[in-house]
Amino acid sequence: MTTTVADRVERLERQWAERPGVLGWLTTTDHKRVGLLYFWATLVFFGAGGVEALTMRTQLIKPNNSLVGPETFNQLFTVHGMTMIFWFIIPMTTGAFGNYLTPLMVGARDMAFPRMNALSFWIFLASGIFLYIGLFGGFGPDAGWFDYTPLGSRLYDPARNADFYTLSLAFNGMASTLTSANLIVTILKLRAPGMSFNRIPLFCFAMLAASFGLLFALPSLSVDLLFLYLDRNLGFHFFDVAHGGSNFLWQHLFWFFGHPEVYILIVPAFGIATEIIPAFTRRKMLAFPLVAIAELLVVFIGFGVWAHHMFATGLPTTTLVFFAGATSMVVIPSTIQVFAWSMSIFTGTPKFKTPLLFIIGFIVMFVAGGLTGIMFLAIPFDQQMTDTYFVVAHFHYIIFGAAVFPIFGGMYYWFPKVTGKLYFERPGQISFWIIFIGTNLLFFPMHIVGLLGMPRRVYTYPGGLGWTSYNVLESVGGYITGLGILVLFANLVVSYFRGPPSGPDPWHGPTLEWTIPSPPPEYNFATIPTVTSAYANWTDDTPPSLELDVGHKQHVSSLVDGWTAEIADMPHSSPWPILLALALALLFTMLVIDRYMFASIFAVVIALTLLGWHSKEPQEHA
Amino acid sequence: MTDVAVDPRARERFPLGWWGVAMLVATESALFAMMIGAYFYLRFKNSPWPPAGTPEPKVVVPLVLLGVLILTAWPMWKASHSSSPRRWLLLALLVQSGYFAMEVGDFQDDLHHFTPQQHAYGSLYYTLLGADHGHVALGLLLDVWILWKLLFGMTEYRRRALRGIAFYWYAVIVLTIAVTLTVTSPAFAR
Repeated sequence: MTTTVADRVERLERQWAERPGVLGWLTTTDHKRVGLLYFWATLVFFGAGGVEALTMRTQLIKPNNSLVGPETFNQLFTVHGMTMIFWFIIPMTTGAFGNYLTPLMVGARDMAFPRMNALSFWIFLASGIFLYIGLFGGFGPDAGWFDYTPLGSRLYDPARNADFYTLSLAFNGMASTLTSANLIVTILKLRAPGMSFNRIPLFCFAMLAASFGLLFALPSLSVDLLFLYLDRNLGFHFFDVAHGGSNFLWQHLFWFFGHPEVYILIVPAFGIATEIIPAFTRRKMLAFPLVAIAELLVVFIGFGVWAHHMFATGLPTTTLVFFAGATSMVVIPSTIQVFAWSMSIFTGTPKFKTPLLFIIGFIVMFVAGGLTGIMFLAIPFDQQMTDTYFVVAHFHYIIFGAAVFPIFGGMYYWFPKVTGKLYFERPGQISFWIIFIGTNLLFFPMHIVGLLGMPRRVYTYPGGLGWTSYNVLESVGGYITGLGILVLFANLVVSYFRGPPSGPDPWHGPTLEWTIPSPPPEYNFATIPTVTSAYANWTDDTPPSLELDVGHKQHVSSLVDGWTAEIADMPHSSPWPILLALALALLFTMLVIDRYMFASIFAVVIALTLLGWHSKEPQEHA
Repeated sequence: MTDVAVDPRARERFPLGWWGVAMLVATESALFAMMIGAYFYLRFKNSPWPPAGTPEPKVVVPLVLLGVLILTAWPMWKASHSSSPRRWLLLALLVQSGYFAMEVGDFQDDLHHFTPQQHAYGSLYYTLLGADHGHVALGLLLDVWILWKLLFGMTEYRRRALRGIAFYWYAVIVLTIAVTLTVTSPAFAR
């Protein structure tokens, strides 16, 4: 061995460097850059969804308010739901956190398909712009995020609103499918030597579960959207009862996607929790294999419970009872995890830093939302409460409390890794308490107004029903939550510029990403480590590591045991992903305005782009 | 140095591209499963099926064509495992193109008798077949592309691409079996 470590690092830096400036970002295939692009873009959509939410809360702060009219309100709650689910949580967890962290945690230098990864980001961004062009053009989707037919059919939704719904979601679904395929292959095949299945970090198990969920659930939504598009624009009859169609078909297909979707939203949050808890309690996660299995199981069971969203639609009682029973099974993996998280905290030596506070807040909110979820198992209760604010309270405890709190915690936890700076602890804790109080003030009274009979999705309500004071509390809670989120981001922004340097491993975190410098270099690992434990940074042994320093080399592992199966060449930055996404955006634009001739022209453009994409072959081995 | 020894214990050696195709096949299979599910869901809600005035689906021709398509798995397999794959690939491409042309002709012929705008039956019939034919068409484009690439010699990249395309074809064949049995089912199972 003649090369020194410094030589090797210098060579890696030269080989893995991307183009400088904006062009570098537009053509990047680096998973960390793609992850950051996802992060910033999803934050913009989060802001948009938040503005929509606060507008609705302001409209509902008093009876007979007229800040916005009913049609605008319909678009607001529909687009709010779509934005938060499809353009904030999924891309934030799988796109931003998943992309940035998964390769670092499994000891890889990039995702399995780096260009496809960039493609999924540009498709995601284009689909969001597409949706918001619809909204600002007055054609925002307006039939609720589940867009039930016949309300979403051409007869009752004659303008383009529901077309923006079908096309933007189908467009967005492509991005999620690509990301999930990429995550699955990365976790299954790009692990460092020695990382057998039982040594995969729990965060990656959660990503695996969410990705499998997306891969198998999204097709159901895609089929539904295709059917609705054909019904609305070409006169097909899938959902037209007069011609042999069925509105139940829409609901079944939608919820066969929609319920796994709920778990797809929260499982990555579970994964974040299982990384933060060990780091701040200085102990390994309790019941590691059980938690890993529970993460996968929760998504798996999620595929068998969809009809519990349809308890009030007149399905046969036998069906209802079956699905109530199936739904109750979800309690088992959920409880395993709740106990594993709490007992790990109790039996460890917890340091209550901001990330851990968010995780504790998450456990509290998840248990609260989970308990109201169990209440919905009781079919008569569900039938009574359907379409009231009680439902809104329940799923916001899950989706905001259980899915978003760990995202905030994760932002603090990995902030030093991404930026190389420490955040300010005191303002961090203050932001947690403001958000925690704000969300409970925002969502808890919704249980009560729901029980009092206030229906969801009404743009206003009369006074004298006893709902007013609760609505005031909710709106105030909304503003407080918004304030807390502003404090959180202000802290992160100030820390980015003024924070003290963090060093590579400020928390002595358990997993591989803490073994490399902060921010990580382009090639992630100067040498590929050999892994002997699920908590690779906590083991004392220093096994030999792989030196891969010629070209874009990547270790490919065998499926189960993590043995070296191949050394692969990885592609470098490419202009094709963004061009392909652009062509797709034009195709979808032509579809929404019924210009099928132009749409087919853009389909040809897409094929040509793909030809260009594959025109240059990677370096040959031999 | 990069000459890292492959671990002899690692017996599973599918290349990453193969895994990518596996993901595509998984999600597309779910797509077809949902469409076939929708077909039977509406079938059991409607009687008669197909509705009165709509001809029964053809059986003999689609099943014979299906048999022909299944047979193309053999030249695809030979192509992806042979050192001179071009002949096998060309053979597969010719038969697959013939299959596709016949199916498109059949599709157009059906449109003369009933349309997707008449009844949910027609909507499902044409959407299912259209989706399936679309997947066959994509396979043909992939065949042509790899055949073009192979004119300039064999590389490791092309060998892997060929393997992925062959895998895609096996999946298309399985999906076509499912779709064909679904759309012909009214004729032999009432």
